[in-house]
Amino acid sequence: MEAGKGSADLEQEVLGQSLCTSCGACVNICPYIKVVRDRVAVIEPCGLTEGKCYDFCPRTPTDIAALDKSVFGKTRSDFSLGPYISIEMAQAKDSEIRCRAQYGGVISALMKYALDAGEIKNAVLTRPFDGAMMPASVVVEESRQLEECAGSNYVSSATLARMNEATRQGKNSIGLVGIPCQVMALRKMQASRHDTGAKGVKLVIGLFCTWALSYKGFSEFLKKKVDLSQVRRIDIPPPPANVMVVETTAGDIRLSLDEVRKFIKPTCSVCYDMTSEFADVSVGMVEGVEDWNTFIVRTPAGENFIDKAKKAGVINTKPLEETRLEHLKQASSIKKKRAVDAIQKRTNDKKNLLYLRLSAQEKKKFL
Amino acid sequence: MGTLELDKPGKTVLMMGDEAIARGAIEAGVDFCASYPGTPATEVPESLARVSEHFGIYAEWSTNEIVAFEAATAASLAGLRALVAMKQNGVNVCADFLMTVNLAGINGGLVLVAGDDPSAISSSNEQDSRSYARYADLPLLEPADFQEAKDMTKWAFELSEKLGLPCILRSVTRLSHSRGNVKLGVLPEKTRKAKFEGVYISGAFAAAQHAALHQKLEQAREEFETSPFNFYVGPKKAKFVIVTSGTGWLYSREAVAALGLEAKVGILKIGTTWPLPEKFIVDHLKNVAEILIAEEVDPFLEQNIKILLAEQAKTLGPIEVYGSKSGHRPAYGEMNQDKVVQALASIRGLQLKARDEKYIEQAKELALTYIPPRMPTFCTGCPHRASLWAIKSALKLDGRDGFVTGDIGCYAIGAGPAGYFQIKTIHCMGGGIGLANGFGKLDRFAFNQPVIAVCGDSTFYHAAIPALINAQVHNSNVLMVVLDNGGTAMTGFQPHPGSGFDALGRSAPTVEIENICRGIGVEVRVRDPFEISQAVQELYDMLQEDGPRVMVFRRRCFRIEAKEKLQKKYYVDQTRCIGDDCGCARFCSRVFNCPGIIWDQEAQKAKIDEVVCTGCGVCATLCPGGAIKVRGAAS
Ligand code: SF4
Ligand code: SF4
Ligand code: SF4
Ligand code: SF4
Repeated sequence: MEAGKGSADLEQEVLGQSLCTSCGACVNICPYIKVVRDRVAVIEPCGLTEGKCYDFCPRTPTDIAALDKSVFGKTRSDFSLGPYISIEMAQAKDSEIRCRAQYGGVISALMKYALDAGEIKNAVLTRPFDGAMMPASVVVEESRQLEECAGSNYVSSATLARMNEATRQGKNSIGLVGIPCQVMALRKMQASRHDTGAKGVKLVIGLFCTWALSYKGFSEFLKKKVDLSQVRRIDIPPPPANVMVVETTAGDIRLSLDEVRKFIKPTCSVCYDMTSEFADVSVGMVEGVEDWNTFIVRTPAGENFIDKAKKAGVINTKPLEETRLEHLKQASSIKKKRAVDAIQKRTNDKKNLLYLRLSAQEKKKFL
Repeated sequence: MGTLELDKPGKTVLMMGDEAIARGAIEAGVDFCASYPGTPATEVPESLARVSEHFGIYAEWSTNEIVAFEAATAASLAGLRALVAMKQNGVNVCADFLMTVNLAGINGGLVLVAGDDPSAISSSNEQDSRSYARYADLPLLEPADFQEAKDMTKWAFELSEKLGLPCILRSVTRLSHSRGNVKLGVLPEKTRKAKFEGVYISGAFAAAQHAALHQKLEQAREEFETSPFNFYVGPKKAKFVIVTSGTGWLYSREAVAALGLEAKVGILKIGTTWPLPEKFIVDHLKNVAEILIAEEVDPFLEQNIKILLAEQAKTLGPIEVYGSKSGHRPAYGEMNQDKVVQALASIRGLQLKARDEKYIEQAKELALTYIPPRMPTFCTGCPHRASLWAIKSALKLDGRDGFVTGDIGCYAIGAGPAGYFQIKTIHCMGGGIGLANGFGKLDRFAFNQPVIAVCGDSTFYHAAIPALINAQVHNSNVLMVVLDNGGTAMTGFQPHPGSGFDALGRSAPTVEIENICRGIGVEVRVRDPFEISQAVQELYDMLQEDGPRVMVFRRRCFRIEAKEKLQKKYYVDQTRCIGDDCGCARFCSRVFNCPGIIWDQEAQKAKIDEVVCTGCGVCATLCPGGAIKVRGAAS
């Protein structure tokens, strides 16, 4: 983690290069950086040459091994999925949760349990639709508020900006649900020498992610087809369908995924993490199995929490078959490989990988 | 009772120039006053409004100057005496009506007070409105002191009525806004009843009317030949004469005295500057070899006198003329005694004792020990600061190099650091939305910068609506932001059609900005700019849309609010202030820059300047440390 850079550098190296993930780590930690929708901007130069914004950003130099050490106390041995303790399949026991949430409903079930059991006081997560198709990150205090947060979204919202706001108000027992870039930034914050409230995040549930769409491009595209206020839910059914289904009050619209992919954020092409490798627990879908989630327990804290949740009968688990595990590893490795290629192409530099600082061993695998 | 109502003929009282004009109108028995506020003329109608009940005068703040002028003309056509006052730019707004009412004629005395602002102390331009008199063939009077301001105004009504023409009275900031002695005249018995008769049409026989107008002007010239407002002082056989008008009169007198030239230099003071009292002038210039013309701004008198000298060359012989053309007087900026002294000295080859070089420096230093150095900025508590910050944020987030076209009002200082350098164009009332309108149609030429037109609430009613209609009809890509602070703030909070009260402070029907927009069919939203993050978000969203859109940032100017409510006392909890460190870097005092927040050098923390802070509290919503708090409130 290279120190000695500030908002001007962030503007130049990240925002100006379309590398911002809209994670929100740099937002609401000072008055200079703001987010609207998924657009982040430095409104006015603060004049400092060194600061937290640069330090926290998941697209400024990030030493994977060092971050491993700070989160897990050791470096990784699995270069495709990152450090983990166990991998299983899981689903929420409560069928109602399962049906509301897309797929297995594990996240909703776990967050509900965490809040009800007092493991955390607040949950920071994303409500998929906040009018006009833009998701909103919210701070939730009671588990019944979780309902509206079920479902998938394909535009990322600045969850960490919301978290920064919450910690600034003194909230210090937070559970956070985030996508890999957000989780990475959160861990960078927690590892930073700068003072931050991020240490108040006690439980991190990471989602799988392959890409996110840019709000501006995608909403303008969609606006031509439907009144955005009518959109109720967006879903991408498992392959080989290759479509995105937009459910609206006026009926479903099916969009070709090839068309939708044009609006993927440029930063997702250099993203090295599919499975939220720095989370306490990572959750994703299982290809071909509706109703169940892939479920990776990574940290001892995560394991401890999951044990309690299992005991409380919140989720069902079953082993993930070997072929599926292989499939998952392969998918994750492909994303990494693609990211490395994209970085090399972008920078015309074969050795230095933009923001990625990989150990010699890891480099060997992907270079 | 104030001096305006004082019924003591012959008594000398202290009056502001604008008040003296108002008193002159009262002594002329003025019945009707309609105006639009504008420095330096604002206090004329304001004074009349103050005593309107007492004297049975109808007074209104009109939507703009041409409407005011037309309304006042209606009163004149019905046989009443009417006054309309405006700043220099207002005369331009009136120009269309001016160039027809001169031909169609009037009935009751009608006086147009044009307040010029030399050096543009409180204006977007510098302009000499006297040319309008020549252009429109109307009689022009230029008071040189406070007494004349009153007396000339009274006489202007009589003259106007006699000629059947509106009369223009030109004042300037120095006269309008300073105070001097005025000997009061008699208050008239008011008996006029309004009745319209006759035909007043310009155009049908315009050429014939124009000829008749020239005759009326000749009649005015005749009147002027014997006017007491034109006189000569100085030696009987002076070879050198200063010809002067307006404020130039006092400066010339002082300059001649300062140089001890009373025995050699005469002063010919002209109060009726269009049409010129030619005979009177020629009489006083016989045997004169050189003249210096001392007037303010344009060489109006200078050029007209030069024409006269050319016409009278046979009678007068060659006369050397010094003025702006010869380089002895700048044809811009305010006049002062020094400028006349300099001109006289250089013409006459006098050695002036130079001022100590350090004088100006020392004077500045001395002044600064009492006044802290400060860039022009918005008042503490001003909603415009928050609005411009929201605009800046939204444009930055948008990232397409958007910019702001400005308009006339106190928010115009948003072109400087006070508004974070956001405003890139400023012209005339309504000019911002008009320009934006055009920018919004450049998309076919690969133009993709978003354009925001800012406009004050008063300006909106005054001049922005036609451009907004144009934007709607042509589907121009423009976002208009109306900075609605509830009144005409720049000139001292005169009401406008949205205020809900009239010139006398009585409640009045309102015309809402958003209803006008809806009527036009333009999408409109209303927001409090102090809810900054929502304001930024909505503005950003609106920037993403095409076609015309209006955002009304509505928050009453804190100056009005503070008058009504007990203000809250804010302070900085210095234990929570982040100060210079990462996470703030002195945002409040350095960047947001409200004069109510200062930097405490000793503590290296921010501090509220309690004398200046109005307690608006917007800084508290922006402070990242939660350090700005209300005294006495639970933390
Ligand atoms: S104050 Fe700190 S966090 Fe904010 S922009 Fe400056 S360096 Fe970045
Ligand atoms: S910290 Fe997050 S939001 Fe900020 S610039 Fe980096 S990626 Fe974008
Ligand atoms: S692909 Fe990576 S960068 Fe893009 S949204 Fe997902 S986690 Fe963030
Ligand atoms: S904004 Fe707040 S933290 Fe920053 S200097 Fe001002 S009072 Fe201190």
